Amino acid sequence: MIRFESVEYIYPNGIKALDKIDLEINDGEIVAIMGENGAGKTTLIKHLNGLLKPTKGKVLIDGIDTRKVTVASLSKKVGIVFQNPDDMFFSENVWEEVAFALRNFGYDEATVKRRVENAVNFMDLVNYINKSPFTLSGGEKKRLALAIVLAWSPDIIALDEPTIGQDLLQKEKLLQVIKLLNSQGKTIIVSSHDVEFIADLKPRIILMKRGRIIADGDAEEIFLNEELLRSCNLLPPQLITLSKELKFIGVKPKLYSPRELATEIMAKLQR
Amino acid sequence: MKIIEVKDLGFKYAGTDFYAIKEVNFEIDEGEFVILAGKSGCGKTTLLRCLNGLIPHFYEGEFDGKVLIDGVDTRDCPPYILSQKAGMVFQNPDNQLFALSVEADIAFPLENLGLPREEIRDRVEWALRLLRIEELRNRSPFELSAGQKQKVAIASVLAMKPKILLLDEPTSSLDPVSAKNLIDVIIELNRRHGLTILISEHRLTHLIPHANKLAIMDKGKIIYFGEPRKILREDVLMYGVSIPRVVEVAREMEKINGCLPFKEIPLSVDEFLNNLRGALR
Amino acid sequence: MAAILQGLQFYPGDSFIHKLDPRAKLLISTTFLLITLIYVEVTVTTMIIIAEALLAAISGTMRRWVKTVYGSIPFIVAVFLMNYLVRMLIPGQPPTHIILYESFAAAYRLIALLASFSIFFLTTTPEEIGMTLTKLRIPYMYVFAFISAIRFTPILAEELQTIMDSQRSRGLELDKGNPLTRLRRYIPILVPLIVNVLRRSYELAEAMEVKCFGASKKRTYLKELKLRLKDLVVIILMLASISISLYFKFINPIKIP
Repeated sequence: MIRFESVEYIYPNGIKALDKIDLEINDGEIVAIMGENGAGKTTLIKHLNGLLKPTKGKVLIDGIDTRKVTVASLSKKVGIVFQNPDDMFFSENVWEEVAFALRNFGYDEATVKRRVENAVNFMDLVNYINKSPFTLSGGEKKRLALAIVLAWSPDIIALDEPTIGQDLLQKEKLLQVIKLLNSQGKTIIVSSHDVEFIADLKPRIILMKRGRIIADGDAEEIFLNEELLRSCNLLPPQLITLSKELKFIGVKPKLYSPRELATEIMAKLQR
Repeated sequence: MKIIEVKDLGFKYAGTDFYAIKEVNFEIDEGEFVILAGKSGCGKTTLLRCLNGLIPHFYEGEFDGKVLIDGVDTRDCPPYILSQKAGMVFQNPDNQLFALSVEADIAFPLENLGLPREEIRDRVEWALRLLRIEELRNRSPFELSAGQKQKVAIASVLAMKPKILLLDEPTSSLDPVSAKNLIDVIIELNRRHGLTILISEHRLTHLIPHANKLAIMDKGKIIYFGEPRKILREDVLMYGVSIPRVVEVAREMEKINGCLPFKEIPLSVDEFLNNLRGALR
Repeated sequence: MAAILQGLQFYPGDSFIHKLDPRAKLLISTTFLLITLIYVEVTVTTMIIIAEALLAAISGTMRRWVKTVYGSIPFIVAVFLMNYLVRMLIPGQPPTHIILYESFAAAYRLIALLASFSIFFLTTTPEEIGMTLTKLRIPYMYVFAFISAIRFTPILAEELQTIMDSQRSRGLELDKGNPLTRLRRYIPILVPLIVNVLRRSYELAEAMEVKCFGASKKRTYLKELKLRLKDLVVIILMLASISISLYFKFINPIKIP
């Protein structure tokens, strides 16, 4: 369970990035944090493993106050996959790269070996195990970044803008992985402004603006509120816009998938 | 004369053993708006580099075929001349802004070309007005948002007065409204000012309704090149192309109905509604 | 350390000093430097420091300027101690109280020296510094390198922070261990940093090519520095001050308390 209690965070240069954040995320939830660039999404995520500690208020991870423990110890529970994989690679090959965190966390070599292989298998990187991480393509690097975190199997996984620069197939794969991890009981937090991707995921959405949470609800409810979205520099998913315009043939505005909406329209047209 | 002619183009980067692009053939008329789509690694960036001379002048490798930009063969033309025919805007907003103020950045390529000061001043004003960023004139790059930086990048390149603008995933780091904003600017440059546009993107929803041509690449080859409406009748999802959701809905309706319930594939919400209303009458 | 750097960064303002041509400002700093070097007497140094403080006040950069002074105290103390100790140990030196005075004077002059250039940097934008370098006929390649350094250092600093965040999130503890193990722990920080710098250089080179860098041997400039009346007045004043100082030191020495 993740708890933010009246959290405020002011950067050393004086900018208030988080303003009275009260938030509760239960085990096993999938939550999307959305908002424009600069709304505070990444700042919020960095509070999850103690990289940033609140200047006021507190963050509790499973009851532990993040100000009282080290980043390393919190990271065992909360794995953050940052936006740019190029900011983390330094090893000779993929195997070593994945093993790095495991060794830092103190696992014995046998466990390290097992976990590296599991993570690499899960993310389809078996053929790259001996390759240098610097020679991987953009998509492969993103998979490696996720494999690195999955290796130590944290209960909570936070992904910061995982879909930037990704093509359709890569995004679909990511969607599947997130759903699979969630089905295994992991709490997943995704920060993103990719509205269509989040629409496919249909999570609980926390909308941020200028360091505050201005909305917290289920995906459909939030995506149906166009004014709210636009105030955060977001646009509604295209099919929400379309379904709203189709009220004249009796279609109810909802978060449809293309097939669902097609079926609904055809049904209404038959009459 | 076509403004871009590509004949049997192929390129293998030095030190690799496969062709990044192969047997590429197409022509583009002046004033066209062309989208380049395809999954990551399909060769979009390589193709763009071939169109402004970075290949073969900056990147070494094996170059097959011929590329004519405004009638000029890129192999025989120095890059600084090609930049004045086809300007290129890259994905990372920071790595193409060099100066400490917006004005200085737009002036940068013109200063490099040794243009007289008056000419530079005029062109800088022109570019600022064109992109509607006059109020950003004295700002430093650190104060700009990603969307603003990309506009400055475009202004800087347009100051050289090219007829063609090449853009490599320019909206990657932008949030949805900023992305749409930038795309609207690019569309205006095409509509109002006749600039030929070749843009590579993953997010096609706002671009497709305005494109004359859509090119889909896979593994270095061009699979489709033609009008978006025709191409989107095909199954392009396998090529990693995110087509607009309304198109997907229309195609699902086609599957249910046996045939397309409209005259043609709608490329936007407005077109969908118009087609629907038309079909209902 | 950070305090000193603050005093060397541009601080925006609309003052008389800000509006002076950077070359005039450079001359002011150089004048202070020369006078401080020529005269060892504490009274002269104090006058210089007061003059600098006055300039800082006029330009509205007092706070920052004071920070440079404050931040350089460790150096000052170090210089003072070194000077004092060395001279105490060498034979044939004047009595202790004179050594103390002279060591103090030496350290004190250092403040004036450091502070003199602080005013220049506080009131001059990096762009203006670039233009000054160009006017001084320094080849464009170097001016560009200087401007790029200013342009990209904050980005690099941000990247360094991001890398540290990423690695700490993988359990890397940078504060633990003895100096030797700590050094090894910086490898996961340095490698991505260097790789990113290289990658960025490549992307920048590409963009420079696209923007015709080096296309013309005779590069032109949109903006150019022009000396105006107030600049000339300042320049004359400074040159006069230097001449007077030299005169009273070497040609017609006067006694100063």
